[in-house]
Parts: sequence; C-alpha cells; structure tokens
Amino acid sequence: MQLTLPFSRMLVCAAILLPAPMLFADVQGASRFTMFREPGEKNAGITVLHPQADVSAEAGGASVGAGYEVDMVSGATPRVFGGVDAVTSATRFSDLRQAARANVGWNVADVGLSAGYSYGWESDYISHTLQVGARGDFLEKNFTLGLFYTRNIDSVCDANNALAQGILDRKSLVSSDKCFQSGQTETVKRAVDIHTFEPTLSWTATPKLLLQFGGTLQLLDGFQSNPYRRVLVGSQGRTPQEHVPDKRQRYALFARANYAVPALRAAVSLHGRAYRDSWDVLAATADAWFTTYVMDALLFGVHGRYHQQTGAVFYRSSPDYETLGPAGSYWTGDRELAPLGTITSGLKITYLRTRRQKPDAWLDELELNVKFDGMFYNVERFGPNSDRKMALITQVGVSARF
Amino acid sequence: MAWRSFSKRALAAATFVLIGALASACGSNRAWLVKPHQREYLADRIMRPDSNALESSADQHVLNTREGAIGGGGTVGGGCGCN
Repeated sequence: MQLTLPFSRMLVCAAILLPAPMLFADVQGASRFTMFREPGEKNAGITVLHPQADVSAEAGGASVGAGYEVDMVSGATPRVFGGVDAVTSATRFSDLRQAARANVGWNVADVGLSAGYSYGWESDYISHTLQVGARGDFLEKNFTLGLFYTRNIDSVCDANNALAQGILDRKSLVSSDKCFQSGQTETVKRAVDIHTFEPTLSWTATPKLLLQFGGTLQLLDGFQSNPYRRVLVGSQGRTPQEHVPDKRQRYALFARANYAVPALRAAVSLHGRAYRDSWDVLAATADAWFTTYVMDALLFGVHGRYHQQTGAVFYRSSPDYETLGPAGSYWTGDRELAPLGTITSGLKITYLRTRRQKPDAWLDELELNVKFDGMFYNVERFGPNSDRKMALITQVGVSARF
Repeated sequence: MAWRSFSKRALAAATFVLIGALASACGSNRAWLVKPHQREYLADRIMRPDSNALESSADQHVLNTREGAIGGGGTVGGGCGCN
C-alpha cells in the first residue's frame, strides 16, 4: 500500500529539512526488521513482518526526530471462540498497519523536555498519539527522575448494531471494506481514549550498580472488543460479538537492576514487574539479561523471561461459556484476557564499531545486531488459540551515528 | 478490598521512605554519591537500559499484543546520568 500523501510529504520534508540547520549536529539513523511467526497446529497461525526506521539529529541541546514503521500481518484466526470447529474453521486474513511519528527534544544541563506525535492507520483502526516527557537529574546526576504522559485518541471500525435488540444480538464486523467511509450504514466509528502516565526514578547506586524504579498508570475509555470476534455463549448456540467493558484502569510497578561485572567485561540486568488492572488481570513478570564482550567489537547476550497472569473476571473457557453462560454481561475470546503463562528465551549478537576503536572512521558509531527469541505459551486446553504453543521472533537491526 | 488496602499502605510507606531518604541525602555530606570519574563501567553501552530504542519498541510491541499486562518497561525518562 502507498503512503497517503500528507504523510509521505511529511517524511520527505523531514528528510530534507532535518539535516539543513544541523550541519554539524550529531545525526543518527536506525532501522530494524522484526519477523514474528506463531504457527498453529490446525491452521496457518500468524506471521507479522515489522520494519521500522528512525532518524534523529541533535545540536546545542535541541533534538528532532522522525520515524516510520509498518506491520504486515497475515495468517488465520478463529472468528468464533467456542464450538467444536472453532480452530479448524479459522478465517484467513491479512492486514497492513502503518505509523509515522515525529518528535522534538530539549536538553540543557540537568533538565530534559520532549514532545512527540504519531499517527497510525490501518483499514479498521486510526490512532493519534501525543506524548510529552520531562527528565531531571539531581544530586550530582546520581538520580534521574522522569515522567512521561501519553494520550491516544483512537478510532475503531465496528459493525453497525444500532438495530440490535440487546447485547446478545450484536453482530460482528465481517470485513473492513466499508470502514471509515462516509455515506454508508454498515459500519460505525467507535472511539477509544487512552491516558498513560509513566514515572521512573533511576539511581546510580554504586560505580557498578544502576537501579531503576517506576510504574505505569493507564486509563482506557471506549470500545476495546475485537470487532470481528464472536463468542459462543449459552447452550442455544448464540454467537454474539465479543463484549468487554468500555473502561479499564491498568497499573504496573517495576524495578530494574543493572550490574557491571568488569572481570568478565559483562553486565547483568534483572527486571521485575507486578501488574493489576480493573478487569482483575493480575500478572507478574521477571526478566534477566547477561551481556558480555566477546571481542572489542562483538557483544553476546542471552536472556530469559517469565510471565504469568490470571484471567479477567469475565473470562471463561469455551466449555464454560457454553454450559454456564457468560459471567455477567461480558464475554471474550481474547488470549490476553485468559489465564496465561509465557516463557521467553533468546540470544543477541551485536557488532559494534566506534570511533574510539578506529579514529579515522567517518562514522562515530556503527551497530549491527541480530536477535533470536523463542516464546512458549502455557494456555489452558480450552482457552483461546490453545493450538498455538509457541512463537519465534527474529530481529535484525542496524544503526549509525555520524 | 484487602489487596487494595494493603497496596495503598505499601505505596504510602514506599513514598515516605523514598522522600525521607532523598531529603536526608540532600542535607548530609555527599561522599556516598558516585562521582563522574567513577562512572567508567556505568557509561558502557551494555549498562544502558535504553541503548537501543527501536529494539525496545519492537520488543514491547510483541509483548503488548501477546500478553495481558502492559507497562513497567522502564526505558523512558531514566538513564545512568553519565552525560
């Protein structure tokens, strides 16, 4: 798909104008390609290709940046959660999501400010994102306090259910062909507003230990169901559109420790997170990285991650939705809202060339890296997408600083 | 309700301890602070949690669409304070 005109113009203008006033600036460019592959035992599963590109320039404490990314999603997914043929009757689909962003920043002495805007668009979803942030160093730069606020003003395409007698009669969206078109009555535009607050505190605890603490508070209001998904509820074979509450509050607290091991020319990073939300999803996540220099220009890293969560208060397995009916007036077939455990493990190899290693180089820094991850799911037998046991994630990245 | 009550008390206690620690740190001698010449290891790329923004963004993008929890990445607004 071609870029729409205003955004292609924006990117071209950014590419031309950014370097002009910053002839002697610190300029960086980075690109990354991610391939996510989640095979299914009984259907094609999901494949996501995700290229990204970023450019930024900095001079005299001021910085500007721009970026662009794409999600090319293809595969098959069951449109109905529940019923004996749910997995095998998965519907094939493909979708394209694009996002363009721009940001500015200002750093003077111990204070930094930033602001950014991004626009994301796909056939059935439009997103406007505004972000502002502030950072302050204090106590001889031993502490850094940061606060970011993000506001999303999103629109989702939904089937027009104005004539539905009740929520059990709500039909799902069949296709995105008529989405966001004026003068048609098959679809409607539904709003989603999201406010996200992210405070962090970094502490240089010792010459080898960096600690970081923080949290996330997110408030969502609007249509949060998957408009295409239906759920088999009750014994009469009714399959209404997925229905989840319009409001959700999400809270996360985290701690991170990065510890240098000079004897091995290595670093160990430990990260833990606790999460809870108003839909009663409780989660705990632990992540560990070990990174070491194999040679002056070559880094090797391994990591492991464990995540465990409970299901939302209105989630039930497919047999329970069928025999017991819904829990209240909500029902979902979303794996993210089911009891779920994931174990992720992988490695990363980085080639790093800096001017210090090669003083006559025309680049200040060049980095190439590849990363492989395996993500293994533990979902209950009759849970959503229970035939998908794992995902493989491959990333290739390159960045340069001039 | 018990969990909410406990979490509020824990948050209040943590905030109190943090503010107290920072206030006493500002008032006392600062010998315990890490000096710029002691930051050799902290300045190394492998110690910077936000050294690759695109990678962090791609990782979070995958996790946010596969798991029910979000946030707590901790790669914004912080850093080692090396510069």
